[in-house]
Amino acid sequence: MTDLATQDKWDKLAANFDVMAGNGAEKRWLPKKRELFSHMRGKVLFLALGTGLDIVAFPPGQDITAIDISPKMVEQAAVRVAAYDGTIDARVMDVHELDFPDGHFDQVFTSCTFCSVPDPVAGLRSLQRVLKPGGELYMFEHTGSRVFPFNLMMKLMSQLTERVGPSMSRQTVANVHEAGYELLEVENLFLDVVKIIKARVPAHH
Amino acid sequence: MDNRLYFVLGDMFSIIVIGGFIGLLSVAIVGTDWNMWVAMILMMIVGMALAFPAAFLFGYWFGAMEIMVPAMQAGMWSGMVVGMWHPMSALSLSQGAMLGAVVGLIVLNIIWALNVALRGTRHFAGGAL
Repeated sequence: MTDLATQDKWDKLAANFDVMAGNGAEKRWLPKKRELFSHMRGKVLFLALGTGLDIVAFPPGQDITAIDISPKMVEQAAVRVAAYDGTIDARVMDVHELDFPDGHFDQVFTSCTFCSVPDPVAGLRSLQRVLKPGGELYMFEHTGSRVFPFNLMMKLMSQLTERVGPSMSRQTVANVHEAGYELLEVENLFLDVVKIIKARVPAHH
Repeated sequence: MDNRLYFVLGDMFSIIVIGGFIGLLSVAIVGTDWNMWVAMILMMIVGMALAFPAAFLFGYWFGAMEIMVPAMQAGMWSGMVVGMWHPMSALSLSQGAMLGAVVGLIVLNIIWALNVALRGTRHFAGGAL
């Protein structure tokens, strides 16, 4: 059953999400996101769609399935989805309960998603199920830091931010490993907080 | 650090304003007869707490974590330094703001140096952490 508390939290943010997110982060990381999304090949699952801010960084001509837990977010994304030079099948779906067959996708892309998934390891395992053996996971995420005093400060911040939105202290690289993926590459973009993670499902999975 | 001028100047501008504001506030709140250690700890907490919402404002134009993390550190250190300094030798509001901004800039430069050390790509052989 869909996590209604999380859905409600993001539904409430949807109308003002673009204003709240601003364009600073999008502008700052657009070149890196373009580079990351340029790896899109075959059947691609993207999460979380949000209001579609990342669509501008997608390479043209792809056939992408994009999901988000919030119906209001997907509604807000409609204009950007329609403007994409390719196909985006936008659906409301909880990452913990993916309605796709096993081994359905070649790749999964995430963008600032696993700061907000309530059970990140379960969510990553769910993605693993719908990826083909050897399928690739590409993540653009902000995570907690391992460096003092940033780690302490971000844990404190999370006490507040988790009530209204994302966590600031997730150990996403460790979560990817714990979920059973083979880690390929981690690129720190800002301190050890903003990063790109590349991993794959073991071939024998 | 980001080497695009827009973001370099944006980072500096945000931190100067936030550090300066916390410095000014520290002089306004702390009395010259306060115990300097009490003032330091109180303004450290107040500085960090107030820098958080302020970072949202500047984050709109310049980024999210890239503003928030330095802003909270700058707020914390500006509050500590100005809060401790004021009971020792009474500062004017403008001196407090100036000192807070300078402390903020020093913090930003330390974070930029740390960023150079921490950023980069790590490859994993065989998927081991």
